[in-house]
Amino acid sequence: MSLAFKKETFRDDYTYKNSVEAIKRFPFPFPEDTYMYSVNMEPHTKGPKGAVTEHTFDIDEHYVSECLDKAKTLELDPGRYAVLPHMMDAQWDFLELTMESLSTDYPHLFTLKKDGKNWTWENKPLSIKKSFVFGDVSTLDMDPFEYMSRQVQGDFVLLDQRNDTLYADAGFITSQADWSLNFDVGMAWHEWHGPVPQVTKLGVMDRALKYLMSMQLGAPVRRLNWTMTINPRLDTSPENYPLWGGDRNTVTPENVGKKVHLRVELQTLFRLPRSNGLLFSIRCYLINMEELSTFPRWAKRFHRVFRDLHSDLAEYKGLVKFREMTVQWLSKFDDGADIGVGTHPE
Amino acid sequence: MERGYWIRSKPVYSALVWQQQANAHLVLVEGSAGGLAAMKLFQQMLPQQSITVIYETEAGGADYTAALKKVVPDDLQVFNSHDAAMKALEAHLPEALMGLRIYVAGSEKFMWDIAQIVLHYGVDDADIAKELTGTLARSVYCVHCKAITHNAHTNIQACSGCGKKLFVRDHFSRRLGAYMGLMVDAEDPGQIPEIEEIYP
Amino acid sequence: MSHINVKVAAIEQVTDLIKHFTFVREDGQPFPVFSGGSHVVVSMNINGRIQRNAYSLMGNPEETEAYHISVRRQEKSRGGSVHMHDALKVGDSLQITFPVNLFALEKRARKHLLIAGGIGITPFMSQIADLERNKANYELHYAYRAPEHGAFSKEIKANIGNKLITYVESEGGVLNLRNLLSKQPLGTHVYVCGPGPMVVAMIETARTLGWPENHIHSEQFTAPPSGESFKIKLTKSALEIVVPPEMSMLEAMEAAGVDAPYLCRGGACGRCELEVVCTDGNLLHHDHYLSEAEKAAGKKIMPCVSRAKCDLLEVVL
Ligand code: FES
Repeated sequence: MSLAFKKETFRDDYTYKNSVEAIKRFPFPFPEDTYMYSVNMEPHTKGPKGAVTEHTFDIDEHYVSECLDKAKTLELDPGRYAVLPHMMDAQWDFLELTMESLSTDYPHLFTLKKDGKNWTWENKPLSIKKSFVFGDVSTLDMDPFEYMSRQVQGDFVLLDQRNDTLYADAGFITSQADWSLNFDVGMAWHEWHGPVPQVTKLGVMDRALKYLMSMQLGAPVRRLNWTMTINPRLDTSPENYPLWGGDRNTVTPENVGKKVHLRVELQTLFRLPRSNGLLFSIRCYLINMEELSTFPRWAKRFHRVFRDLHSDLAEYKGLVKFREMTVQWLSKFDDGADIGVGTHPE
Repeated sequence: MERGYWIRSKPVYSALVWQQQANAHLVLVEGSAGGLAAMKLFQQMLPQQSITVIYETEAGGADYTAALKKVVPDDLQVFNSHDAAMKALEAHLPEALMGLRIYVAGSEKFMWDIAQIVLHYGVDDADIAKELTGTLARSVYCVHCKAITHNAHTNIQACSGCGKKLFVRDHFSRRLGAYMGLMVDAEDPGQIPEIEEIYP
Repeated sequence: MSHINVKVAAIEQVTDLIKHFTFVREDGQPFPVFSGGSHVVVSMNINGRIQRNAYSLMGNPEETEAYHISVRRQEKSRGGSVHMHDALKVGDSLQITFPVNLFALEKRARKHLLIAGGIGITPFMSQIADLERNKANYELHYAYRAPEHGAFSKEIKANIGNKLITYVESEGGVLNLRNLLSKQPLGTHVYVCGPGPMVVAMIETARTLGWPENHIHSEQFTAPPSGESFKIKLTKSALEIVVPPEMSMLEAMEAAGVDAPYLCRGGACGRCELEVVCTDGNLLHHDHYLSEAEKAAGKKIMPCVSRAKCDLLEVVL
């Protein structure tokens, strides 16, 4: 596969678009007509060819522009990167994992040469070439975690495991909803997981924590999560809420198709070897309603899910203002026919 | 507040009680209400190990120095400024040993200032006994400009950094010692709900 | 659980009772790096019966050509260590799990106090490598019965010098826990691995001196005790399995082809926990994981070490 990287923006004039191929591989998260919150994980094993799960970390046509957008967000607010001092081993774990997987999965884009502790990394799409000593921070331009977080799509959190829980002790967060890294860094599992409506009582979070703490090396897991965003904006942070919060008022019946985006997060978790920490990676995929409805099966499915979504969840995800308009817009695709179980587009 | 619903990051405080299993004890109290909390603590059966009390008095409030002098057996240090009290704490820690039990009574700001200092010595806030006295005033972290505004008594507080009207959430950061403040009228500028005093 | 196929590359008799095994991968690949204090579970085939024992990895975590474990011969156990000692030869094949760490260093500690008794030294050998690499402040206190039992004492001394303090019982050496624990600077974390009574004494002493629970770390794996035979019923798979006297519940389930979860196989980690539906007898808890209240409630059981005195025990799996 040789990828043509698009030049596009995730802010201001919002030129972000999905190609036909990108639409087809979109990680559509609804196998059924109703949505129930769950934290069910599955092994993060190699998915089918072309799928977003084909490789350990997915690099797609948005790669270069997304990395630029991340750099921009970080430049405007350096607080999007934070790491506590005891996380250095985990930082190197992250660098090793990302460099090794990218160079194995995309050898035409990334290469890694190792001579003992002397490593040379080349990232062709971003025109980076760097020799450094593994384990010696002074030979990199910046922290190893920041260095590679800038070169992989998505957000990353490094978790420290201690006191029978997990602490979010480092993060690079430039494209996630509802996280304020500078505020949340250092928090324990139950502190940073604010209550999700309909969920806290069920002990779901306790079970998920127990499951994650016993995660093993060499056996990563994944799950999908979703929300919706107005405009293809990656940085929907609480920090910049004043910048994008008002966008929810700009949706009209005429622009629903272009403005309203389904935002899907591919979350993956890895046990890290030398730190015994965990890597939590959150990769965001955006698709607008027009693009989504090029596959009527998806439009039908999403119409039903969104229409019947529990109002507490709609409130929690901030979807109330444009829900009716979007459901109305989608209804034209829905003939009510049974479309069976599964997330496939056709 | 909704029943059965709890933000897990929000700290829970309770009345001070001596820990009998210890190597030494360090008590820090603030103001009149904190001084009274210390007096209550000394009504309980005193532990065997050495006890140090650091008392930050409050201008204009009741002063329990004389009363404390009578009950504190070993080491009572009284200060009339916050900085001096915190300096005394810093001076106490380098020689301190494992098994030091720390007790704090005062405002949230006082407690979390202390928590940040002792964290440098490897003590987690969970291992500090904390009693909230005097005021429910909150420190509020502005998620937009990162300034921390102290002494917020209302549900909505103007940020001392950027002036935005912040809705004060229950979400609390132990590292910053502050509650999260989020611009209240970002979606609909100018639409500010009624401002009420809820943290007297 | 995912496994790594390994070959025995070397066997060294360290003391009368302790052998050191070196493993390399069958596929010639490097092993994963691991964190100090990790263990692997070794599967061995003892006359057709599969036994799995957990052993601490004791090499340098950054050296990935080989993994190292040490095994103390336990005459009175169910044969795992005896098999490792008597039957295993260089060139033999085995299966091990990926490393799991249930005895991790607390990276924020201002000082690490490591306390080893006898063969309990092994997890500390990999931890020392991590501590040295990170230039951490630490001491290793190592107690053993007689000079000939001090496996690795010389090797460690050569590596870490006077950060090693030894106590040789036959020479009158006594590790006074109360003295040691009462003069540690604020922010110290203590770690203990060794015989049961030593672990218990350390934990009790630290608590008495007011050490917070999160500063006290111990590794204590129990070997599954044998007992009377009983029958278990798995509700989801509708299987009925007899647990023979010398097998644990977990082993009996595995022998019946059930893929049951585990990490430590020693009652420490909680991973194997099963929900009890009912029993016509009593549960015999042997784990260190469930609280006393949970044990009394009888709603959960750790099948890696615990059993039941009953005819039938029904669990959810
Ligand atoms: S496997 Fe660890 S407690 Fe049973």
